[in-house]
Amino acid sequence: MGLDRRSFLSLVAGGVVGSLATPVVWKTLDDVSIWSQNWPWIPRLKYGEETLLPSLCKLGTDAYGVQVKLVAGHPVAAYGNPEHPLSRGGICPLGAASVQLLYSPSRVRSPKKRVGDSFEDISWEEAEALLTEQLKAAGKDVALVSGDDTGSAAEVLAGLVAALGSEQTYFMPSEGAAAAAALGLLGGDGLVGYDLEGADYVLLLGADALGAWGTTLRNAKAFADGRERAVRVVYVGPAMTATAAVADAWIPCTPGTEGVVAMGLANMILERRALSNVAGLEQFRKQAAGFSPDVVATRSGVAPETLLGLAKELLVAGKPLVVPGTTAAQGLAVSDAAAALAVNVLLDRINMPGGVMVLPWGPKVVAAAPDKKAMMGRDVVGYLAAVAAGNAPAPKVLLVHAANPAYALPDLKTIQTALDKAGFVVSFSSFMDETAAQADLILPDSLTYERYDDAYTPYGSGQANYTMAAPILKQPLFATKAAADVALGVAAKAGVDLGFASFEEVLKAKAEALGLDFEAAATGTVWLGTEFAVQQLDLAKVQAPALQESATDVTLVPVANLKIGSPKVATPPFGTNVISPRELQGKDMVVAMNAATASKLGVRAGDAVTLSGAGGECRARVRIFEGVVDGAVMAPLGLGHTAWDAFSRGKGANVFQILGTQTDVAGFTRFATAPVGVRKA
Amino acid sequence: MQHMEFKVKWGMVIDLDKCTGCGACSIACRAENNIPPMQDASNKLRTTDWMNIYELSNGKKFPDLEIAYLPRPCMQCGNPSCSTVCPVVATTKDEEGGIVSQVYPRCIGCRYCMAACPYHARYFNWFDPIWPEGMEKTLTPYVSARPRGVVEKCTFCHHRFNAAKEQARANGADPLDLPEDAYIPACAEACPTGAIVFGNLKNPEHRVAKLAASKYAFRLLARLGTDPQVYYYSKRDWVRQLGDNYLQKELKGGEHV
Repeated sequence: MGLDRRSFLSLVAGGVVGSLATPVVWKTLDDVSIWSQNWPWIPRLKYGEETLLPSLCKLGTDAYGVQVKLVAGHPVAAYGNPEHPLSRGGICPLGAASVQLLYSPSRVRSPKKRVGDSFEDISWEEAEALLTEQLKAAGKDVALVSGDDTGSAAEVLAGLVAALGSEQTYFMPSEGAAAAAALGLLGGDGLVGYDLEGADYVLLLGADALGAWGTTLRNAKAFADGRERAVRVVYVGPAMTATAAVADAWIPCTPGTEGVVAMGLANMILERRALSNVAGLEQFRKQAAGFSPDVVATRSGVAPETLLGLAKELLVAGKPLVVPGTTAAQGLAVSDAAAALAVNVLLDRINMPGGVMVLPWGPKVVAAAPDKKAMMGRDVVGYLAAVAAGNAPAPKVLLVHAANPAYALPDLKTIQTALDKAGFVVSFSSFMDETAAQADLILPDSLTYERYDDAYTPYGSGQANYTMAAPILKQPLFATKAAADVALGVAAKAGVDLGFASFEEVLKAKAEALGLDFEAAATGTVWLGTEFAVQQLDLAKVQAPALQESATDVTLVPVANLKIGSPKVATPPFGTNVISPRELQGKDMVVAMNAATASKLGVRAGDAVTLSGAGGECRARVRIFEGVVDGAVMAPLGLGHTAWDAFSRGKGANVFQILGTQTDVAGFTRFATAPVGVRKA
Repeated sequence: MQHMEFKVKWGMVIDLDKCTGCGACSIACRAENNIPPMQDASNKLRTTDWMNIYELSNGKKFPDLEIAYLPRPCMQCGNPSCSTVCPVVATTKDEEGGIVSQVYPRCIGCRYCMAACPYHARYFNWFDPIWPEGMEKTLTPYVSARPRGVVEKCTFCHHRFNAAKEQARANGADPLDLPEDAYIPACAEACPTGAIVFGNLKNPEHRVAKLAASKYAFRLLARLGTDPQVYYYSKRDWVRQLGDNYLQKELKGGEHV
């Protein structure tokens, strides 16, 4: 039989209709769409039991509680910890990216020894033997620079250095140290804190409280709660920072004149309020009288009527609080901090609800270690400058812990000279940072999630607090070790008895000293102190900020920004996307100035410029932004890394390179702002 | 297209007077939803940020300048422009809760939805998702990794909605009447100042419903008729006025749709 045309067409049509009626075609299409997206190089998800464990984030200058989500034992994400008083559920950009940092390409995955221009992986036995041998040979010519001013790890390391006979133990610069020094200047003793939750009027003299200053997350929560209670927040500073953007008012001032504004306010308050019971009042009155409204206006650019408005607001507020600080969250002048403290004294705000709280230093358990007060009172910038200049002996062994001095200190050229002079540089960095990259020995510290860690009262806290974190991972991911455990092991080998066999024991002793149950602390119970040391402050000892005009036309205002990084860590892999074109364009750092400043300097938006400062030069692009005072150039801190990994290396410039320093009272160095030259590149 | 009404409408109110532009929401979102990291993220035409943060300014000269930061998730529009143009039904708004879905395996990467979305909330995967070696172990089990050639967007952390519903069922409660905070996306959870408030816009007890009803609340480009489920809040007139295209003569009281 033949197949005629009609039956052929019927067959085809019937086939088409029939096949559409079956699910085969649709199923096949569905499979194709799924499998064409299902390549072997696309990672698969892993499922399993989910748990939440409490830990700490110490990547910024802050230290606060987080919760880490684990799936089948693997950490996958960090969240804020609603139970922690310094987090209250919030998380900072670095904390949010912290779990992924465990696998950062720049992690140092085993101990390394320098061989010529490169490193050689070595075993922990060899590494510890090498350090022991170097320490024995160095005698007491050993120094320590630590960036961990809240943890007990620094206490152990400082204990080792002190037991070897050296007093050269330093913290990286912090505003906490400057504020404590200011308190000491006035005859007080303790850590300086601010009861932001209790205040009903907050005057921030430079402190970028919602940016990167102090207990940033807690500040944010206090600010949000304060909004509900109509707490007025006023920001005085040279640039429109994160805080200024949401504050009730931004009062622009010339960079570095926040202390002058404080003295001006003190003068006005003294004229308007009869005070007694304040020690040294008459001498202080004479000092403050030099800061008349006109003088303050000339120097700071804050008009007399604006200053008067602020003074009146302070005087009528029930619980006003004045907070000193800087946009860089470091490099604060002790004299500026003292001036702000004096205003708080005049307003009777010391150890009062909503005022400045003086908090105890906290217990020391490693007997050999220097007191934290002594260590915080020493200035690392001054020390390294003296080493560079040959005015202080260069250490034969320099231990660097939780710090990156080769990147994050001002006048970097001088710092570099000092590091070059140090005989044997040991970095405990978890990451291949700039300091590790030029160290002689790297003993990689485990990250907080892989070991024990703790934090006592980070700067700004309104009451003393202590948080401990037990390791979340049973084993470190790589061949890393807790720096404190390494120090204890090396101490034993060098014949030094620090009194403890492990860091865990140190923390047990610390918990005991605070009257805290170790098991409870290790599972997230936070200790809160309720004692505030009575202070006898003497205002006669205030050393008022200098009044003379700065000789420079243009001032650099570095702004710390946690989304770009911190003095401890470079931009994490998960942080690159939130860096905006307002901070980085291509490979160029973006600096902001207002149109008037730009036209004075003869530059336009988008121009490539060279910035020159005391420390050297760097390249940037100009952004016209009216949120900067006349004569100021705002620049983001945290760019321009030369080590680390592709997520941060070679992006923008390191502002620390050009940042100059000024000597300050109480042996400190001020570097929050510095003169800068701007010319077209 | 037919407008579907839901008993539950998940929504957000973002207080622009509290946002400091810190970026924590965006990073928390990235970690939660398995968006791969980018070594070079300076070309913003090639980046993927479900939660993107813009800077607004009142345009005035120093010292009168004011700025505000505007975090922008997917608006989960009541009348989505994206789903109407999708040729393969890869994005729909048909589930109770009012979240606009995105079905990755169906997406053919034509990008009509991106062109249609007036909020630039949609992102195309220009590259295969690559994590630095070992970092893929930190992928959450909630959102599969999307290959090159697929469009993606914020889903209000839909997996958290599912988890909250499961929990409610397990507790014998009504999964469509979740208590406030039983379900909140990663961004709202992370926000340090609590600027992002999340909840059911149809439940008058939820904070979002109260805030959205405020005279200071507004929605982006509301006049287009997209009916977004994301509201913004600001007491500053100039911020609200930037929320839509207004004629000069309209710009007086800061009254908004």
